[in-house]
Amino acid sequence: MGNVIKKLVIGLVVGGALVGFTRAFEFPVIFQMMFFAYAMLGAVVFMILDAPAVKPMSGIKSVAVLVAFYIVLCTVYISGASMWPQYDPEDEKGKIEKILKPKRAATEQGKADELIARAKALDEQVKVLSARLKDLGGDQATKDQAAGGPGAPPATTGAASGDFMKLGEEQWQLQECYNCHKLKGEGGKKRGPELDNIATYLSVDEIKQKILDPKSFMAEGFEKEYEKGKMPDKYKDLMEEKDVVALASWLGTFKNTSVATPKPIKKK
Amino acid sequence: MKTWQRSLVAAFALLALFGGAAYAQAPGAPPVEFPYTGNRTAVWVVAQLHILFAGFILGAPIFVVISEWLGYRKQDPRYDRLAKEVTKVTVILYSMTALTGGLFIFVLLATYPQFTTWLINHFYLLFAVIYPLLFISETILLYMYFYTWDAWKGEKKARHIALGVLLNLIGTITLFVIDGPTSFMNTPVKAEGISPQEFLATASLWDKIFNYSWMPLNLHRLVGNVTFGGFVAGLIAAYMFMGAKKDEERAYYDWMGFVGNLIGVGALLFLPFMGYLLAYELCDYDASICPYMMADQLSMFFEMQGAMIGLIFLASNYYIWLSMKRIEGVEKVRMTILAPIIMVLLPLVMTKVLTDYPVPDPMSLAFLLPMLLAPFTIGRFIPLTVSASTVIKVGFLMVVVGDAIWLTPHGFVPTGAKLVAELELPSDWNFLALMPAKNSAAFTLVFVTVVNYVIYNRAISQGTIVWGKIDFISQFVLIFLAFSAIWTMGLMGAVRSLLRKYYHTYNLLPDFTAESFTPTLSYSAWWITGITVVFYAVVSFAILVTLRPSDSKGHA
Repeated sequence: MGNVIKKLVIGLVVGGALVGFTRAFEFPVIFQMMFFAYAMLGAVVFMILDAPAVKPMSGIKSVAVLVAFYIVLCTVYISGASMWPQYDPEDEKGKIEKILKPKRAATEQGKADELIARAKALDEQVKVLSARLKDLGGDQATKDQAAGGPGAPPATTGAASGDFMKLGEEQWQLQECYNCHKLKGEGGKKRGPELDNIATYLSVDEIKQKILDPKSFMAEGFEKEYEKGKMPDKYKDLMEEKDVVALASWLGTFKNTSVATPKPIKKK
Repeated sequence: MKTWQRSLVAAFALLALFGGAAYAQAPGAPPVEFPYTGNRTAVWVVAQLHILFAGFILGAPIFVVISEWLGYRKQDPRYDRLAKEVTKVTVILYSMTALTGGLFIFVLLATYPQFTTWLINHFYLLFAVIYPLLFISETILLYMYFYTWDAWKGEKKARHIALGVLLNLIGTITLFVIDGPTSFMNTPVKAEGISPQEFLATASLWDKIFNYSWMPLNLHRLVGNVTFGGFVAGLIAAYMFMGAKKDEERAYYDWMGFVGNLIGVGALLFLPFMGYLLAYELCDYDASICPYMMADQLSMFFEMQGAMIGLIFLASNYYIWLSMKRIEGVEKVRMTILAPIIMVLLPLVMTKVLTDYPVPDPMSLAFLLPMLLAPFTIGRFIPLTVSASTVIKVGFLMVVVGDAIWLTPHGFVPTGAKLVAELELPSDWNFLALMPAKNSAAFTLVFVTVVNYVIYNRAISQGTIVWGKIDFISQFVLIFLAFSAIWTMGLMGAVRSLLRKYYHTYNLLPDFTAESFTPTLSYSAWWITGITVVFYAVVSFAILVTLRPSDSKGHA
């Protein structure tokens, strides 16, 4: 018992010191707790090291202890894994659906599904229109169209441009460009250049060229990354033409000269 | 299990293989829907079980033949008995490997018929000719090896060992062959400027097999299988020790447990580097895989991996500690003070050196190698020494520190996208979350373990081992090591498969099913635990069925 108390006191003292130290250096509370937990783990390890020997067991007793040991192990591993922050698959499902939609549509099965879906949608529209014509009379639909109602022509040019930029931003998220490039102060782990001022150096066409062929430009200071081919040469196969244009156009709006975006050097 | 029963299982597996290949050619087979688990998890469970059995039957014969050779060379019958007992269990588990392999193909074909057909078509020669031939050869060799054990002794022992070497050769080739399609799914062949589809159309079978991650996966699995086999040998010894009635039996199984652990730990020391090599090649293939693993969806899987490896190292060093206690005269053993000093300095110095000279810059070795070798080279010239107990305790302290560094994340978030200041390391301390710090933490665990084994060796040369008198808790440590090693294999198997993201074959063949997302770590842990328990139950049964009767027969 003396062994346990002594190690526990040492663990608490070391843990307390670590909490004080990490607090002084402005570590978030979760990290302070984590370092305290490490100190307690150390205390438990040293308690076990100096614990008295366990007497041999046999028969039913050893089987029961063994089964209990397995139950403890299973519980600890499942609960241990569940204690870490959990990634929410819902965050990803929408993205995956958007990325795979054109690919699915390109397959034979996808084409058939799309045709069936379109036929169903048209059928629904016909039913709705028939019902409305029945209720309102034939001239009502023409009036609606003139007044900008449900039968009005599709979006204006300005709105379309806004949608296009939105599509570009969406591609930035879908292709997870933020994992390597910092933009608007978010993302990036210095794997790739910060892009807030990219439009000062590259035109939309040149940005598009860089996305489709990563070897076409090299950012200054990223010679090693360029040589190793860190930027994946896969977007020409993964992205639709309109998506690449939208992403390039969206990036082409970033002209924040206060950010030191490295100068791209033309290589091809 | 009798020979005809084993043959039946093997025949069933071959039937499944060929039948599967034939079924895959049938056009438009609709996928089935697995209730409760869903299709992806069903494939996951069966595939992981198959890999665990396969891992053991490929890993165990490597040290079995070494043990047999040691027994022959040293004329120590214990090595031969260990080799034979592990082979007995291997033979039973071989049947289970075949059975789960056949089941895996059926489940895969039933759930993902289009993808499976596509993959089989790309590797037709391999699946229809090479792999079955290797499988048949391995089956024949394994049974020959087992059944000639008693007949080929004395002067014929060398012939038997040669047979074991041949068995390992075929086993290793089988592993390398099946790793072809497996690694291809992660890193399919590609060439600059050509679309993957176009390149694949012209690629030869060898091009497809010899992809980016093939050799790193081969090496990782080879070393992993030996580690796993060693720990399962330890498990066998623990069970038998707990059930032993006589002192000589306890002495033998104590020895066997020590050897099993030694093999497991010996191979484990190389495992972090093999894993690193595999991750390096995956990142080199496509840099976007790296953040997905380390900073995004799978980052917490790697935290869990760090926790598991930390526990495994703590347990294996604790086993050395307990083993030392049964050596008479251990209190006289001393070691240079340089050993604990370097243990303490290692994480700090290594982080600094690897930050200035990142891997694979050889300059880092110029600084680190002299430091690491100092206790063994200049240590003898330094008069200050400390007791073995002190060195090991400092080692434990550094294992805890190493674990702490390994487990310190950049942020307590499951994805970089959700990072906020309240959950992020202060920028001045961000180095704790970077690769140089993680590598130094991993190396500290390895270094401490090596030093502990050096001390153990010194202790046995100066003292006397009293086999059979080890603390009973050590048997639970052996069981814990086997369970944790299997659990970690399951975890890393899930990670490797998930790296394909929403593709069956990365960037080539999308998975259009609703299950192609990253599952939570918690969900994965439930299934990994379930798989581990099933595997454990089968192995435990195999051990009890195979080895209990040998108790009464007695051994030399």
